[in-house]
Amino acid sequence: MKAFFDKIKQNEFYKMWFKDALPYITGAILLSVFQIVTFATTKNPWGVSGVFANWGAWLYQLIGGSVDNWYYFSSPGAQATLEAGIINHGPTWRNIGIIFGALFATLAASGFKIKKLKSYKQVIAASLGGLLMGYGARIAFGCNIGALFSGISSMSLSGWVFAAFMFVGAIVGSKLLVKYFM
Amino acid sequence: MSKEVVLDCFGEACPVPLVKAEKALEKLEINDILIVQIDHSCAMKNVPEWARKQGHNVEIEEIDDGEWEVIIEKVK
Repeated sequence: MKAFFDKIKQNEFYKMWFKDALPYITGAILLSVFQIVTFATTKNPWGVSGVFANWGAWLYQLIGGSVDNWYYFSSPGAQATLEAGIINHGPTWRNIGIIFGALFATLAASGFKIKKLKSYKQVIAASLGGLLMGYGARIAFGCNIGALFSGISSMSLSGWVFAAFMFVGAIVGSKLLVKYFM
Repeated sequence: MSKEVVLDCFGEACPVPLVKAEKALEKLEINDILIVQIDHSCAMKNVPEWARKQGHNVEIEEIDDGEWEVIIEKVK
């Protein structure tokens, strides 16, 4: 068995497809092709972070809360999605697919590792960063996928505006990171 | 006499390993060696890329599953 895996490790196609990272250009082409497939088959552009808002709403409903009067979920479309439930929510399955796909990729490259926390600062930085990204993505009606990638690829000006301000945010964020969390 | 410095970046996410490596290399003399320990795969792309662009000699060693050492020899 070990000999078999040792042999695979030396295989050039294993290295090319699983072990080594794909070149940026290959990744870009694959993402473009798959987002076109997504758009064509589901009639909706690819998005990631909006799903998390729905997960939050379903979780809240699970513990007895109601989001019926929340502005964010007030449209008939949003209400219909919530009523149909998580099982019938395509984007949920796509996000789960992304998570398991990423897990498979690291396992196949034998690069999987559970990382240790280095300091409590990392916990604060990660929580703060997550909150800001999540909140920002919702008030912008999209993240770097839904607003940026899908926006630009649909020839929407809003995608470019989002890109410009995302760069501004990244610069400010990096400065803060270096100043307070390093 | 050239020296060898180990920079522990285990558990650090992008862009921290790159920023730390830049700062650490600045302090070194020519021919010194900087070993950056990384367990974040995206840093595995940007740290060697940056060092090679600067013209330094770079070698990558996989020391364990999901753990790498980027060995940078400062040449200028």
